[in-house]
Amino acid sequence: MREKVLHLKNVVKKFGGRTVVDIKDITFGTHGIEGLIGPNGAGKTTLISLITHKIGMDQGQILYYKNNKEIDISKKRLDEIARLGLVRTNQIIQDFASLSIRESLLLSLATSKDEQFYKIFNEKKFRKAAEQEINEYLEFFHFENPDGHALSAGEKKLLDIIRCMLLKPKFLLMDEPTSGLAQDQTDRVIEMMKTKTANNEMSILIVEHDLDLIWKVSENVFFMAEGEILIQGAPDEIRKNKTVISKYMGENYAQNK
Amino acid sequence: MTFSLFTSTALVLGLLEAAPLVLAAIGFTLIFRLNGFTNVAYAENITLGAYFAVIFNSMFGWNFYAAIIPSALLSGLFSVLTYLVIFRPAFKRGVGKTELIILSVGLSFFVRYGSRLIFGNDLFNFTFDNPSYLSAFGIGITSIQITCIALVVVISLGIYFFIYRTNYGERMRALADNENLAMISGINPTKVSILIWFIAGAAGGLAGVFYGAFSFVSPSLGYNLILIIIMVTIVGGVGSVRGSLAASIGVGIITSAVTLLSKPLYGQVVLLILFIGILKLRKVRI
Amino acid sequence: MEQLLSGYVIYSLAFLLIFISLATLLHLQFSLAGIVNFGVVGFWGLGMYSFSLLLVKGKVPFVLAVILACMITGIVSWILGRIILNLDDQAVLVGTLAFATIIEYLSTSEKWLTNGVMGLGTVNFPFNFGKKSLLVYSLILLVFTVLLMLYTYKLKKSPYGRLLLSISDNEKLSQSLGKSTFRQKNIFFTFTCALIGFFGAMAAPLYSFIFPRMIGSGVTFTIWIALMLGGRKRLFGGLIGVIATIGLFDYVIETVIPIPTQYAEIVPNIKFCVYGLMLILVLMFRPFGILGDKKMEIVK
Repeated sequence: MREKVLHLKNVVKKFGGRTVVDIKDITFGTHGIEGLIGPNGAGKTTLISLITHKIGMDQGQILYYKNNKEIDISKKRLDEIARLGLVRTNQIIQDFASLSIRESLLLSLATSKDEQFYKIFNEKKFRKAAEQEINEYLEFFHFENPDGHALSAGEKKLLDIIRCMLLKPKFLLMDEPTSGLAQDQTDRVIEMMKTKTANNEMSILIVEHDLDLIWKVSENVFFMAEGEILIQGAPDEIRKNKTVISKYMGENYAQNK
Repeated sequence: MTFSLFTSTALVLGLLEAAPLVLAAIGFTLIFRLNGFTNVAYAENITLGAYFAVIFNSMFGWNFYAAIIPSALLSGLFSVLTYLVIFRPAFKRGVGKTELIILSVGLSFFVRYGSRLIFGNDLFNFTFDNPSYLSAFGIGITSIQITCIALVVVISLGIYFFIYRTNYGERMRALADNENLAMISGINPTKVSILIWFIAGAAGGLAGVFYGAFSFVSPSLGYNLILIIIMVTIVGGVGSVRGSLAASIGVGIITSAVTLLSKPLYGQVVLLILFIGILKLRKVRI
Repeated sequence: MEQLLSGYVIYSLAFLLIFISLATLLHLQFSLAGIVNFGVVGFWGLGMYSFSLLLVKGKVPFVLAVILACMITGIVSWILGRIILNLDDQAVLVGTLAFATIIEYLSTSEKWLTNGVMGLGTVNFPFNFGKKSLLVYSLILLVFTVLLMLYTYKLKKSPYGRLLLSISDNEKLSQSLGKSTFRQKNIFFTFTCALIGFFGAMAAPLYSFIFPRMIGSGVTFTIWIALMLGGRKRLFGGLIGVIATIGLFDYVIETVIPIPTQYAEIVPNIKFCVYGLMLILVLMFRPFGILGDKKMEIVK
């Protein structure tokens, strides 16, 4: 068990009168990798968007813990939260049309010191310093043409993940990162997740529909339905939990198991 | 100038400013609501409406009020023409919203300077038969101005009634809200769009005619007003006829008040500064 | 005749340099940072008038007047940027257009300051080399234009250039990577608008007397059509576009085709009419300029 990273209190979000997210009191980050599962429409992606403030919550408080400090991020902007080390990958594919794969990664690594309107001669030096780290990722994931653009959905998803990893986040929220990926790439993502969370520098919360992956990789699993997190526990417990089975996996599944 | 004289002057002048603005705003907001972009070329709709009326009034010698009818029809046709020849093909080619506005600016320049080539750079005035001079709240006002304001009221009510109380109007609103749903319900998007653009064009043309009647007709008539029209649309709410009405009157009164207190250009400057402020407040999202 | 022609040629080239620089600055704002600035002439005019007022009425030395004019333009654009740069594209377009209109109106109405339509002058070159003054001044303009293009070239290949591109491609995604997008847009907008003001100041001695009618929306429109025509994504898009529009219309046609005076009035009308048509055609059929887009062709 580790120190908690996020603490959500009474977080509520409504869309047109319908309550989409309603979290009373939940703590994330006490394990290296935690899973978040639930049926479609449970509010998982919305919850992640609320945490990173891509959308605003109607009420509630989100506390973030870093370097033994408690930071209230309820009102902080998207970019401020990302700079604090709280980063998310996207469920729906997002990319920069003008940037090649390598350029996208260089963007991720650049800090505000590197990015000033009067600094136009620092490119060579910057690239050299970033070379090793970027090449490691490019080789690990077998990118064939890193100076071209990401063309397939799979490539774009991987690019999204690597961009986030390069930020060296303290807490990474992954929203269905392996959907659309071939099995070999999925395995590489899992391997990377395990390596990066081995020390206490990073924790991950992964949202997935691929339950085998969740059981394989998570130390703790949260089950969400109809906007609320109903249960959490070790993978074995959650698998066998009657509520989870009935609300998510269906009667058939239970009988077959 | 006493305060009561000031208020009544501002009110009367304000109404004169607002009347044509109401029609222009109604037409503009219809297109904005339907197609989701700011059609800067609408300015030329307004200007051409005034020129069409000048042709019938000065060249053919028609009575001013009679000249309004062909002007409205021709303006509507012009609007539909721009839709069919330029904007609809542009939509189909996938031209983005921002590019569409830039394109409409191009169209505006094309028509405006084309008008200058055809009509010349000069100003025109309408000829009226024997206007009578009256007084309202101590301010001089002509019978023409009163009749024009009355006409604006009638036409605005007519458009309002058409949009909110008839079948056609319902189809127009349905199409504006959700094109896919409307198509499934059996509404022909092309026909209804043409109808909307026609009404918007006619309203704009009429606004031009009344502007010209209250002052004079110049090639830049519409273009000078387009920013204010956009502002009125945003303040009144995109697609809201009632909102446009209220906002127009407000704008008219502010302009007159400021002009009375200082210089004519200051009225415009104050409005433009307010415009930038309103953009911020309303955070227009299309 | 020969001398007259060569003086006129240098004069035309000097103006072309000014407009090429404006088009390049617009390229930076629109193609790189995604800012739809339809008020270019507002910043240009503000720079021009501030400089001229400082020089003529304030008796401020030339170089200092230029620097102050840049600063004034920068401060005003900073304020405008803070208000409108976090709104959507359409709002930025009409907001900047409204701003430029305000500047145009104020230059006419504030007669006590600007002399209104009577004109402000005389704005002279900062030195006197007799007949060669214009040539020397034009060479100075050339140096600045080339520096600007070098900056643009280098910027595109730098971390900051990538940041700007990311903001205009997908601002939310850029924010999610920790980038302060609003702040950077504002800083870059201020910097480039100050430069627009700079070229406004530098243009004043070429006109020697400045009038409000010089800073109307036609200028903004011309720069836009030049950029769209020349290719909005190309480094030399502004250059190509300006030569193809202003170079062609204002200089080649006027020199080569002697227009009889009775028709002289309609030439600007024909010009803008054609510009309008060209803009429509370019946006519909060749959105990346007359030379097309390299990337798009490969993808096809």
